[in-house]
Parts: sequence; structure tokens; C-alpha cells
Amino acid sequence: MKNRIEEKLKMVKEKQEKAFITYMTAGLPDMEGCKQLIKAQEEAGTDILELGIPFSDPVADGPVIQAASYKSISRGTNLKNSLELVETVRKEGCDIPIVFMMYFNTILYFGIGNFVNACAKAGVDGLIVPDLPFEEQKQLQDELDKNQQSPILIQLVSPVSKDRIPMLLENARGFVYCVSSMGVTGQAAEFHKDVLNYLTEVKKVSKIPVMMGFGIRTPKDVLPMKEVIDGCIVGSHFINLLEEHQYDVNAAKEYCSSFRKELNDR
Amino acid sequence: MSSAYYGQFGGQYVSESLMNTLKELETAFEEAIQDQSFIEEYHYYLKEYVGRETPLYLAKRLTEKYGPKIYLKREDLNHTGAHKINNVIGQILLAKRMGKTKVIAETGAGQHGVATATGAALFGMECTVYMGSEDIERQHLNVMRMEMLGAKVVSVQSGSNTLKDATNEAIRTWAKKAEDTFYVIGSAVGPHPYPKMVKEFQKIISVEAKRQFLEMEGRLPEVVMACVGGGSNSIGMFADFLEEKEVELIGVEAAGLGIETGKHASAMALGRPGTLHGMKSYLLQDDDGNVQLAHSISAGLDYPGVGPEHAYLKETGRVQYVSITDEEAMDALSELCRMEGIIPAIESAHALAYAFKKAKTMKKEEAILLCLSGRGDKDAHTIEAYFSGKGYLN
Repeated sequence: MKNRIEEKLKMVKEKQEKAFITYMTAGLPDMEGCKQLIKAQEEAGTDILELGIPFSDPVADGPVIQAASYKSISRGTNLKNSLELVETVRKEGCDIPIVFMMYFNTILYFGIGNFVNACAKAGVDGLIVPDLPFEEQKQLQDELDKNQQSPILIQLVSPVSKDRIPMLLENARGFVYCVSSMGVTGQAAEFHKDVLNYLTEVKKVSKIPVMMGFGIRTPKDVLPMKEVIDGCIVGSHFINLLEEHQYDVNAAKEYCSSFRKELNDR
Repeated sequence: MSSAYYGQFGGQYVSESLMNTLKELETAFEEAIQDQSFIEEYHYYLKEYVGRETPLYLAKRLTEKYGPKIYLKREDLNHTGAHKINNVIGQILLAKRMGKTKVIAETGAGQHGVATATGAALFGMECTVYMGSEDIERQHLNVMRMEMLGAKVVSVQSGSNTLKDATNEAIRTWAKKAEDTFYVIGSAVGPHPYPKMVKEFQKIISVEAKRQFLEMEGRLPEVVMACVGGGSNSIGMFADFLEEKEVELIGVEAAGLGIETGKHASAMALGRPGTLHGMKSYLLQDDDGNVQLAHSISAGLDYPGVGPEHAYLKETGRVQYVSITDEEAMDALSELCRMEGIIPAIESAHALAYAFKKAKTMKKEEAILLCLSGRGDKDAHTIEAYFSGKGYLN
């Protein structure tokens, strides 16, 4: 069974390019506006889109994504209508790989089996669950393994993962999400002191593309490690930009297409 | 089953960046509690600094009124006014042993914050306490105490601006600073090994109480009870009685305005298993799986979750969990003040209120052993506002 993430990253690699991934919170500015933003990003050339399912206690997120989550919850966003959003964009012909970034309680409450089936049906391609470390993944992974159309569970690696890296990457699929700095999303671009060494170490072990995330604003931020990584993820900064431009579709498009272009300037 | 679990509850639901930190902590903790010199140092400070052992007091007038003997384990007489300090001493000694120079803590009512600030001052460590902006308003006295003790109090403005959000913020900070910073968790919650560690450092309550009761009565009590928020005084109070199958164990949660109103803090009564703050346990949630706000007049019980071992003890039936409303707790508080000359914390008054109910079903020769987890000085304003609002004063 083909997965949109794996297909897309294969193409990116064939072209010898770097992938550009964005994060935005589902349901902002509202469901319709969010749908337009997803489509606009596909047109702008964003390779993969992370859609944050808002949760009341986003413990792995910094203030920007926290605020976006609370705002989205207050506007009625939940897992059910986020799944419907994906189903709708798929029906309308949008094929951009979509990864849900969400907290484990949201899945647990929905029911793990139900959740996996609903993702497969809607067309969700990947999952990032920041509070579900490798040791706690078995229950979810077993359910994912039952269905060929299941999304891929993306593995996160941190600068202090060290001896855990081979275990984390052994069966990893899609891409490896390398947290560039310690702590939470959206910090200034003061990357961890040994970040280059760390990325090199991950890259050595990884059989799949290595993406760097946390605290990236401009293509220049990743210049020093560009040769090592296969792409990067922009989250908090992208949310700030959307907020500044009142979720204007053209502003999003402009940012994404110029970021991706500059990332791949040789 | 992994040792990180109590049945289906517990675990380590934290980000990858904390997994090595937790492993390091677990190793250090397991080594420390096998090390006689560590245990001796812990007991030294409990005796000389905290003032243990605490008395086991037979509440004579209450006993006369209600029938069975009512014994109070006086944790309110500890330095800083509650059982919280027992655990703080243990965790800070461990932090020191691990070479950490800074401690952080979350606090709701401020008792754990004050205890951590106290421990940090005692051992010369830098201390930062995370507290919801709403709680800072409500518990001004404790904010002042923490600052007097040299701690920095950080106001958390996120989510509901209360304990659960302060805990989130402490976890975020920890994930960034674990290299030199030790996170002192105050309740029997959090990722493994925290629930185990908090139990280990609070079990002194039941070890003492059991011995004291045996000396006085020559047998074990029929009933042992304690209030349950996250569950630290209760797990300490139950620990040494868990294997004594003939002893009935009761945990008392806060029913707030009444379970049926939805404004309560009884995770066991109406919660579903969920994950929050690094653990899987019973949790108050809304229809989307978001965490619901708890309500209780007692800030220390105002928590939407409960420690994972309690969830397990409920599931296995070893402990019975019940709940007491704000009103019942305040009536019991008032009664203890007037009949025994003891002003209890509102938290502890919940256990007391249930003891009075339970007493009616017991025989005169039987006994209830109750953990009076803290003193009520910190609650003076809340108590005044409550009783004046009800017209009890003047």
C-alpha cells in the first residue's frame, strides 16, 4: 500500500531537493479557512503538512501553539471535525500528505481502534504523538499494523536521545522528526550546542529522510546543517505569520513557496 | 507488565527528550533507597528538621460523640504545616545526590511550593515554583512565604491558569533544563518513577501510625482513611496497610458542589482512564477528550486526575473511594476546631467528614485511623469567606 508521505519524499529525493514541512492548528481561522490554507499550501509546493489537533494540555508545545490550540478549541475544533476536514479536502482532490500532530489522550478517548480506522478512511497519512514515547507505542502500533491504509507513526528524536537512536529508528517509516533544541516547540533559533553532531549521528543510522524541526523561522536557520538533513519543519513561526496576516491564503502561499525555493537554491 | 505500571495505569507519557532523564532518575532513586547512608540522612532530617515522629492522637470528644475511636495522625504538626515536606526532603536529597543544583516544582494551593522552597533553602539550591495566575491570587500568603524562603514564583498564564497548567509549565521547563534541574513533584502523580518515589517518601506516615496504633491498642484499626487529590498523603497513609487485608482502606475525594452538578474533583467517581502529566490514570474529561476543570473549595484537592496507583487500587477493590462535598467538609472542619481545638486544612476535613459518616456504621469498640494531612492556617481566608457568606459568623 502506498503512503503519500513516502511517495512524496521519494520524489523529493529523486530531484535531490530538500523537503519543506509546515505545521498549523486544525480549525483556524475556522474549518473553511483551514481547508483553503491546506489547498493553498499544496499549490505553493509545501511537501508535507502537519495539522495540529488541539488539546487542552499541550505539554510539548510552546506559547504560540498553546494559544492557537486554545483558540481552536474555543471555536469548536475536535478530532471528529478535523477528520471530516481531511476527508473533505481529499474528496476535493487535494493530495498533499497530511500528518496529524496530537496528544495521546485525544486518541485514547476516541478509542484507538476507531481512531486508526477513521484516519485510514479520511486520508490521514501520518501521526506525530509527542507524549507517546517509543516504550508506550505498542498498543497504537498494533492497531496501525492491522490496516494497510493506516497512517505512519512518525518517530521523534531529541538531542539527548543518544543511545536510544538505533532503537527508535529500527522500524521507523516516513521520516524522522529531529527535535533541534531541547524542550518545547517555538523557541528562538539558538540551536542546541551539538546539534550538527547530533543530526549527523541520526543521519548515519537512519534509513529514511531526516527532518529538523523546533524553532525554525527562515531557510537561513538551517543553512549550517543543510547538507546533513533532508528537510525542515516550520511550526510556531508559521502560526505567527498566519496570525499576523489574519490567516490570509496568499500570505501563506507566498511564505511557503519562497521558503521552499530558497531552501533549494544551490 | 513493566514496573512502570500499576495494572493498566501509570507509564511514562512524556516527550522523547525526557526519556533518558527519567531513566537516570529511576536508576538514581533505586540506588539511593538501597543505600543505608541515604536512608539515614532522610530520617535524620525528618526527625531533627521536620519534627517527626508526628503524634497519633485519640480525638476524645469526637470519639464520645460518634462511637468508634477516632485517631488522628497529626501530619499537620510537621514543619511547614503538612505532609508535603516528607516527600520534599526525600526528593531534594536525591537531587543533591544526583548533582543537580536547581529544583523546580508546581503548586496549586502553595503547600508543596512552600515545602519545596523550604527544602531548597535548607540545602542551598536554587528554586523556581510554577503556579497558576489564578492560584497566585487565591493563595497570596503562600506566595509570600515562598518568596521569603528565596524561591522564585513564576505566574503561569495558560489554559485555566491553575494547578494542571502550572504542572504543564513545570514539565516544559524540565524538558529544557533537565541537565542541571530536578523536578520535585508533590503528589503521587506524573510519569514513572514519580508515583513510586512519592509513595516511598510518604510511607513514613503509615509506618509510624501502624506502630503507634499497635502500641496503644495492641491490634490494627478497622478503618484507615485519608483525603485524595493527586493522592500523596493517602498513598503514604495506605502504604503500610495494603497487605493487612482485614483493614478497610478508604480514600476521600472532593465532591465540590456535588458530583451531580459537574463541579467537583472526583476523578474516581466520574473520570475515565486518560493520559495527563506523564501518566495514565482516571481523569476528568469532556466529550472531546480535553481535560475538564476540577472544582473544590480545597485548592489541594482541585485536580482533574489522580495518582495511578490509586486508580489501580480502585480497580482491584483494595481501596474504596468516596467523595465529600464542600459543605460537608466545612462542617467537619468547624467541628474539629470547636471540639478538639485543631484547625485542619480543608483537604483533611474531607477525610474527617467521611469519618463521621462512617462512624455511624461502626461499633464502639472499633477504631478509625485518619490522616490529618495538614493544618488550616493557609485556609483562614477561604474559611472566613465561606462561613461569612453562609452567615455562620456574626
